[in-house]
Amino acid sequence: MADVTITVNGVTFRVPAGTNVVDAARIGGISIPVFCYHPRMKPVGMCRMCLVQVGTPRLDPATRQPMLGEDGRPVIAMMPKLQTGCTTPVSEGMVINTESDEVQFAQKGVLEFLLTSHPLDCPVCDKGGECPLQNLTMAWGPGNSRFDYNDKVHFEKPVHLGDLILLDRERCILCSRCVRFQDELADDPVLGFDNRGRNWMIISKSDPPFDSKFSGNTTDICPVGALTSADFRFKARVWELSSKPVVCTLCPVGCNLSLDMRYDQLMRVMPRENGAVNDIWICDKGRFGHRFIEHESRLTTPLIRKGGHLVEASWDEALALVAEKLAAVQSSRGGSAIAGLASPRLSNEDLYLFQKLFREYFGSHNLDHTLGSAADVDYDEHGALMGVGKGTNLMEMGAGSLVLVIGADPEEEAPLYVLRLRAMLERGAKLVVANMRPTKLERSATTRLYYQPGSELAFVRGLLRAVFDRVGHERLHLKHSGLEQLRKTLSDLSVEQAAELCGVPAETIRAVAQALLEAKQGLIMYGAEARSAGPGMSESLAVLAALTGKVGKPGSGLIALLPGGNSRGALDMGVRPDARAGYAVLSQRGLGAREVWPALREGRVKAVWIAGLDPAAQLPAARAALEAADFVVVQELFLTETAKLADVVLPAASVAEREGTYTNAELRVQRSRQARQAHGEARPDWQIIQGVAQHLSELSVPVAVPTQRVEESSQPVGGKGKSKGPGKTTAVTVAEPSTWDYLTPSEIAAEIAERVPGYAGITYSALAATGQGGDWGRQTNEAIFYDGTNYENSEGIGIQLPNLIEGQKTAVSLGLRPLSKPAHERSLLLVSQSLAYDGDLLLRGSLLERQIPQPYVALSQTDADKLNIKPGDTVRLDSAAGELTLSARVVDDVPAGVALIPSNLPNFSAAAVQTGPRTRVNLVKVVTG
Amino acid sequence: MIGQLLKGLRTTFGYIFTQPVTVQYPEVKRPVRERFRGRHELKRFADGKERCIGCSLCAAACPADAILVVPAENTPDHQVSYGERYAATYEINMLRCIFCGYCEDACPTNAIVLEHQYELSFYDRRDSIYTKEMLLVPEDQGHGDAPPILSQLERRPSPPAQIDL
Repeated sequence: MADVTITVNGVTFRVPAGTNVVDAARIGGISIPVFCYHPRMKPVGMCRMCLVQVGTPRLDPATRQPMLGEDGRPVIAMMPKLQTGCTTPVSEGMVINTESDEVQFAQKGVLEFLLTSHPLDCPVCDKGGECPLQNLTMAWGPGNSRFDYNDKVHFEKPVHLGDLILLDRERCILCSRCVRFQDELADDPVLGFDNRGRNWMIISKSDPPFDSKFSGNTTDICPVGALTSADFRFKARVWELSSKPVVCTLCPVGCNLSLDMRYDQLMRVMPRENGAVNDIWICDKGRFGHRFIEHESRLTTPLIRKGGHLVEASWDEALALVAEKLAAVQSSRGGSAIAGLASPRLSNEDLYLFQKLFREYFGSHNLDHTLGSAADVDYDEHGALMGVGKGTNLMEMGAGSLVLVIGADPEEEAPLYVLRLRAMLERGAKLVVANMRPTKLERSATTRLYYQPGSELAFVRGLLRAVFDRVGHERLHLKHSGLEQLRKTLSDLSVEQAAELCGVPAETIRAVAQALLEAKQGLIMYGAEARSAGPGMSESLAVLAALTGKVGKPGSGLIALLPGGNSRGALDMGVRPDARAGYAVLSQRGLGAREVWPALREGRVKAVWIAGLDPAAQLPAARAALEAADFVVVQELFLTETAKLADVVLPAASVAEREGTYTNAELRVQRSRQARQAHGEARPDWQIIQGVAQHLSELSVPVAVPTQRVEESSQPVGGKGKSKGPGKTTAVTVAEPSTWDYLTPSEIAAEIAERVPGYAGITYSALAATGQGGDWGRQTNEAIFYDGTNYENSEGIGIQLPNLIEGQKTAVSLGLRPLSKPAHERSLLLVSQSLAYDGDLLLRGSLLERQIPQPYVALSQTDADKLNIKPGDTVRLDSAAGELTLSARVVDDVPAGVALIPSNLPNFSAAAVQTGPRTRVNLVKVVTG
Repeated sequence: MIGQLLKGLRTTFGYIFTQPVTVQYPEVKRPVRERFRGRHELKRFADGKERCIGCSLCAAACPADAILVVPAENTPDHQVSYGERYAATYEINMLRCIFCGYCEDACPTNAIVLEHQYELSFYDRRDSIYTKEMLLVPEDQGHGDAPPILSQLERRPSPPAQIDL
């Protein structure tokens, strides 16, 4: 929009038209105090704190031109009364006065009125010290009050708005920031106003109360101490805290956090502003789910099994034992008798060293980052190969862009994407949500579609066909292979046939295809439920992105919501049996987690090293295998079920006690810093791995000759099993065997930058860059909006990786697997649902533990009626694999033909029935008594 | 020369017959002034409730960083002080303390007072940390009533707190 010229307090400058007076004045460096206005929300003018004098040039009624005074300057017609700055847009020639006596009188009056109801309990208030009401009273308020203290209004306090948030009604100034945040930004309209006059108050309207994944943000934006978090209540004063920048590892968003520490204790978790990742928000899982760091059950010393019991040992002893045992297995049975599983919450440095140790020392490719349950889905390559283009920033996207969310429930899998996508919608983007069942996000969608359960692939093929019919391959600007085959595959299935299969009308499929083609930028987000449809899903979505030209440019590409905080990093680093770092396929693959368990039982694998995973708790097969294993090393935060079966348990440092880098769903690598001293003797994972490597070299174990390197192919994994493509075999230069003497993780990061494709230039010093000056952190007057609510990002905003397609080095394979017809031998499709508050070990000790549900199976009303099941009934599921008894829930948002069970709950495993990512089950009501 | 010697000794002899200024400490304790700043005490109200509300303002004011306050929440069963908050831990490191009295100035409830005790010696550095139990006056030595700003917190809500929806 065009700029307009305004004059504020006699200073004339230009601002974009349509800006409100508060923001406009801020551009000129002039502060107008506000309480209710927040730059991320629509103004309401409730608090009256931003009252200013506003005048516009007087227009000549005849010519509509500004009338000029005797001095040749426009005559200004001042408005008769003061105006609220936040609701007044600027116009050409506007004159604003923020300092006149009249304005100051009004500001003083507003503050004096606000303080008549205020309890003035600043000494005990959690907001004290970062409270906008305190600050504005000091700067703009009256020196004293004419109000008799004994006449103050009193409310019962505190009021529990929910489990996590407490309300102090006496302190509340009724600015409605919290209500508006929940309504406008989070789309969880659970707060509201009740009553009027002196009894006007905020209430929670939902059951359970304050049912939102974003409730903690309301405490940040509350301009007084009315909303406080149960997690930080009366823990410390804010000036005692030191802010330590870390990255959240609880989901693939990778929010920037500030751990606020007093000495060495975690007091609270706050967001750190990063427009490209989390803006100024974080979800409740990130905010309240970091109590595991100081949990009393953390491991503090290495443990060694002696005579059937785990006893404390020194690091030297433990590491030497690990090295000795692993070396013994290697020399007797070969490296392939050793397997390694590493958690996707570890940092890139840990994961890189982990696979390096296995590949270089043991010559073993038996690596994985999953549990190895039947429900595990295939490794997701396309999220990296065709990931979002470098320079993608959801914050800058709006009109002209389209997001297709398919088979995902971002609210549970990666909560912050809900806020990010909704903010894009606000700016004019389109959102298409396709799912088998209703999710919360779809309430905001411009188009919402439901496909038949199990037919998501047919739906995507229909989309592909519709796109192909319209534009063919003219938008395909990538190096590719298998075009003919694609043409043939697509010609097999018309849009109408696909529509019939998936239950979405053909016109709708065509309309979505058309919208995707018309959009300038297009993102395709897919989650656990889409991935559970099989590897054909991500492949088809990748081809869809390629055919519509939504790849390799900023604002376009795939976003895969993977479990854990760093699954993308684990895949990039090659912690998988079939490919090295950078998705270089191995000709001879090792054993994945799923094959490791039977191999352990059969004795083909003798030793296993598990870093940060707890398979024994979830999988009976893994428990049996670990009991049968010769040697088990577990590197963990807690004494988990798996650790209890281990021969050596090594205490690992949590994310707060070490440095590291993490790669998020948008391929952004971010650096996390150390926030506290090591917990007991716990060491960072990379140090543990290095320690074992050093002991191994003392044992003078010859480094396994990397013979397989020469056989490596540069073909991307996406093409495996199908077209040969440009399957040229390239020799990879064999690197010098390393000496394993990294002093800091930055040295490992430097090696990663050198050796892992795509990570070039990602060094710690580069990661410290904070973007263009002024865009990040507090600017003039911003302290008033954000005071105490978040932290500026002075430690680096991360670097986005280029997707591998961008370099045009790898070719995308367009060949698609044929659509398989599912067998229907059992009546229901068992789908696991990812929950945000699940049995993740990292939620240990947090307030969220109470919100973890008991195991259940959710059914539609139709199926429940058919099977005569009532809510709360005990039901038995049986599949080809086995049986499972659960309590039933009957809910609206599950389609007929689907049984939904939450995945990864504590003390519960669905492994007994699962035959794959999706299982067909029969369901019977269990009649007791 | 003799004269000069006598002149000098006159001062000496003069002092022999005056009252000595030396106080036979520790048998005799030297009295201190009213505003002397000695060891801190944490006071109570007359009804025995602690005056300290755990606000940490003393710690914030302390130029020597000698004070540690860890607050906690009062519950109806465990009402330590007036209002919602009390100090669960209150420690002063007497080796760090410079007895400036800023904590006393900062205290909104007159809970911390620098009293007249000055015998603060210890054999172990660890003993220099005075805990809340050591600083707090006995329960029956409280004085004064809570000011309205604190006592009114106990008052019944003026409008009905819960209205039927």
